[in-house]
Amino acid sequence: MAENEKTGKLLEVKDLHVSFFTPAGEVKAVGGISYDLNYGEVMGIVGESGSGKSVEAYSIIGLLQSPGKVIGGSITLEGEDVLAKSKEEMIALRGSKVAMIFQNPMTCLNPVYTIGNQLIEALKAHDKKVSKQEAAKRAMEMLELVGINNVQKRMKQYPHELSGGMRQRVMIAMGLICHPQLLIADEPTTALDVTIQAQILELMKDLQKKTHMGIIFITHNLGVVAEICDKVSVMYAGKMVEQGPVDDIFYKPGHPYTMGLLRSMPRVDAESYERLIPIEGTPVDMLNPPEGCPFAPRCEYAMKICLQKMPPYVELGDGHRSACWLRVQEQLQREKQGAAETKEVPEHE
Amino acid sequence: MTKYVLKRVLMAVITLFVVICLTFFLMNAVPGTPWLSEKTPSEATIAALNEKYGLDKPLIVQLGKYLENLAHLDFGNSIKMQKDRPVLEIILTMFPISASIGAIAILWAILVGVPLGCLAAYRRGTWVDSLLRVICTIGISMPGFVIATMLLHAFTGGIEGLKFFPTIFQQGTAKSYVLPCLALGFYPMCYLSRQTRTAMLDAINQEYIKTARAKGLRNKTIIFKHALRNALIPVITYLGPQIAFTLCGGFVVETVFTIPGLGRYFVSSISNRDYPLIMGTTIFLAAFIIVMNLIVDLLYKLVDPRINLAKGGE
Amino acid sequence: MAEKKMKRPIGSLRPDVDDILSWNDLPENAFEPASTEEKESFIQDRESVSYWKDAWRRLKKNKVAMVAMVIVILIGLFAFVGPFIVPYSYDQVISGANNIHPWHYSLEDQAKISAYIEEHTGTANLSPDEAVAQAEAEAAARGETLSAVDAAKIRAAAKANQGKGEENVTQDDAVKALGIKAKPFGYTNAELERMAAGESVFPHVFGCDTQGRDIMVRTMIGARVSMIVGICCAVIVLVIGALYGSISGYCGGKVDAVMQRIVEVIYTIPEVLVILLMGSTLKPILEEFQNSGDGPLQNLVTLLGANLISIFLTFGLLYWVTMSRLIRGQILQLKQQEYVTAARALGAEGGRIIKRHLLPNCIGQIVTTTFLQIPSAIFTESFLSFLGMGVSAPMTSLGSMCSDALGGLNTYPYRLFIPAAILSLMILCLNLFGDGLRDALDPRLKK
Repeated sequence: MAENEKTGKLLEVKDLHVSFFTPAGEVKAVGGISYDLNYGEVMGIVGESGSGKSVEAYSIIGLLQSPGKVIGGSITLEGEDVLAKSKEEMIALRGSKVAMIFQNPMTCLNPVYTIGNQLIEALKAHDKKVSKQEAAKRAMEMLELVGINNVQKRMKQYPHELSGGMRQRVMIAMGLICHPQLLIADEPTTALDVTIQAQILELMKDLQKKTHMGIIFITHNLGVVAEICDKVSVMYAGKMVEQGPVDDIFYKPGHPYTMGLLRSMPRVDAESYERLIPIEGTPVDMLNPPEGCPFAPRCEYAMKICLQKMPPYVELGDGHRSACWLRVQEQLQREKQGAAETKEVPEHE
Repeated sequence: MTKYVLKRVLMAVITLFVVICLTFFLMNAVPGTPWLSEKTPSEATIAALNEKYGLDKPLIVQLGKYLENLAHLDFGNSIKMQKDRPVLEIILTMFPISASIGAIAILWAILVGVPLGCLAAYRRGTWVDSLLRVICTIGISMPGFVIATMLLHAFTGGIEGLKFFPTIFQQGTAKSYVLPCLALGFYPMCYLSRQTRTAMLDAINQEYIKTARAKGLRNKTIIFKHALRNALIPVITYLGPQIAFTLCGGFVVETVFTIPGLGRYFVSSISNRDYPLIMGTTIFLAAFIIVMNLIVDLLYKLVDPRINLAKGGE
Repeated sequence: MAEKKMKRPIGSLRPDVDDILSWNDLPENAFEPASTEEKESFIQDRESVSYWKDAWRRLKKNKVAMVAMVIVILIGLFAFVGPFIVPYSYDQVISGANNIHPWHYSLEDQAKISAYIEEHTGTANLSPDEAVAQAEAEAAARGETLSAVDAAKIRAAAKANQGKGEENVTQDDAVKALGIKAKPFGYTNAELERMAAGESVFPHVFGCDTQGRDIMVRTMIGARVSMIVGICCAVIVLVIGALYGSISGYCGGKVDAVMQRIVEVIYTIPEVLVILLMGSTLKPILEEFQNSGDGPLQNLVTLLGANLISIFLTFGLLYWVTMSRLIRGQILQLKQQEYVTAARALGAEGGRIIKRHLLPNCIGQIVTTTFLQIPSAIFTESFLSFLGMGVSAPMTSLGSMCSDALGGLNTYPYRLFIPAAILSLMILCLNLFGDGLRDALDPRLKK
């Protein structure tokens, strides 16, 4: 594989706002999120369904379908403004610089074309000069790389003749065939069996090391994040509520939602038979989001201010920040040195 | 696959048998005899005629005899409209006219309807889509005779300066075929176009289209390679009934344009109670339609790679 | 929600200075725990709406469907209320009204026209009697609004025809030369005279047919027949299909297998062929039955008419198949679901499960399919009537009116276009409304 040991910023997302203009009104699916991703870095985006994590990823690759629209902010990929690109430039970008794989490998491959056909097509879309034999050779190399054997035969098979795990491997091969700098994986393991999940994760880790590409890994499974990611962004109701290196998120979570997520996750190292604690309540209505912190109604530490005003980001460590009034309160207390009343602040886990 | 084909052929034979029995008993339940025409014949004549054509025997015996003859492709002779002429001969002289009009009609319906459906789906939400949708909804809401009579009125002298086509159908002249084929193909064209649009939109919303977009394919490749091939599979299933419908729609078009085809003949044989002719025409048309449906159905299984051809079953 | 935050560049992780300053302005009780009530009132829940209310709301937004609905209602009024307003009946032959157009010339204009024709044509070589006889024989081609009753006018018309050749003057030429304008609606000359005498006469809005029957009333009755056929067939299809489908789906096993083979056979029967056959054969059978005695069943047949019953039977026997498949599929799908198993475990009876649990879940699709059966039944009925196998004289339907109009198509095109237009409009609007209904009732589109 072509080794590119480039360093620095690969992707920079700044204050991104995405809205869906439905007949019932504007749905602010993504309400101002920012993050950086360096070359060769793996970032996890965690959140529950409808938190805007997929929408955010689609806007990077220009796959937002109407009525979805980016209404503010910027996305910079390798120093180029993605949002300013024309339709043609976006088509050239997709698949070559940025690739994407999806949740359900059962429905993501076209049932009426062979695996070989779909792989070669992905290559030919960006490399017009490549000959048929050359393309077929490259496709078979890719299939071998993702751990598929008997590639000659596989090339001629239709998707329905392969198992789910195998199809996801084909999807990955298809994504990587043009050596992208950035791979967006939208819940790539959710629809698979647990054992297959582990294999696919292993494969992705392995490929990431070989190709040194950046990966945005979208999931609702914190376990997967711990396995593969360098840093994590936690999203809730279109907001990024916490962001930081993977260790900080796991051992020093700064937002009650993150804490809740961690508590609802089964742990192998749990000493006693702890109960998993679900997060109570349902997510907010995205059609008319309330003022203030969207998590407040489900938050056990909710304060009066939480219902009135969205909290600002508070720096908790190197690259670790969180948007929660509790953290603001802590910081104020630290600054004012015991001027205010002393109040119990929940311990970090 | 063989098992599936056998099963379908068996079903087709059973259906045909049901149609034969149904036709036979219905026809015989109709009061009156075929001999009542201008002058009422005497009792003795009726009895003699009944005996000659075997109509004096019990119904079940008549049916058995008929089926036995049918096995030798003997449809019997006409007893009224073209007396004593073999039914099969009558059918074979009339059917080519109906079939040629039907074939041209369904051909233009497919060649125009399917691309229009794609166009509407490709440009969905634009004025092109709205216009096509209006035309096609009107098209499937106008009974065949309305379109046929309007065309007849407009282009055979009803409107000044538009008399392009002859009023009387003449076999073999291309001009005579234009209006009947146009009228006959209009409904299936609109119907197919609507179905294609729906199937295309359905295909466009599938996940593999998202994959194709993520691969960086051009819009045209996505629509015409990935969506169309998938959309055509369900459209093929609509073709079977449409071919049948077009053939039977021929009844109306043949009546309006006075075409000496099988459809018109079938209608008049019913009102004339020419039993062997009714039976013969019904069986022939039914068999034809059932076979067409069968072929289209098997074709469908062949086009879809998800159907495993080596192993049996669906 | 966070207007302030949107303006703030937060690409970096620096805390915002403005924000830090504003922290000091926070209210005293800012960091007190919020009460449960406060949390609850925080989210304004959207009011939950019932399925039907929600569907109706979406239907109301669909302008095309609403316009279609209004037109269907208007046609319904035309068909069901119209005949009570118009003082003619569909089989009433109005004397002297043969072939009158939906327009007329006043009596003075008619006198002028005949004078003009007389003036410009050679002398009459036919005796008046001969002229009358000839005019009557060829009434269809001549006479126009000139009534056959008025002997003088016939004579004039006959003279005009006599002059075939170099000096042929038709009524149209006369009208053009004199610059006379036709007035809307048709009247017979007798009616025009009555009107001149001060009586008010209901016009023949669409003219009259060859036998002098009012076309508008006949159109109304035809539309009524179409609507009755459509609605009754839809109901028949719904009842048979729902019963058959739910029994087949619910029982499963061998019962289902046998019932499905029957459905498959009926499905592959070429329907139009069988409809034609049944439409034409059932009618005489029913008529015979009707005349065979005086029982309640016979009376029922007489009441509804053998024609309509034979159409209903034909539809009832063939078209329920799709509906039964739909319902069976829905039931098989729902049967797997847990709440049905739960209901069963609680000892609910089969019929109760179908009624309480299964049907409410597929009601949307059933309503749509049933509704779309109406235009398709109307479509097929008109096709049968056009071929002379549906409703028969003196009863009329839009299809048979079109068929009757074929003979004089070039002279009286409106006789075809009026019923054809109403028929097409009715089917179109029913289809459009049905499409709207499907969109409104389909829960998958619910957002």
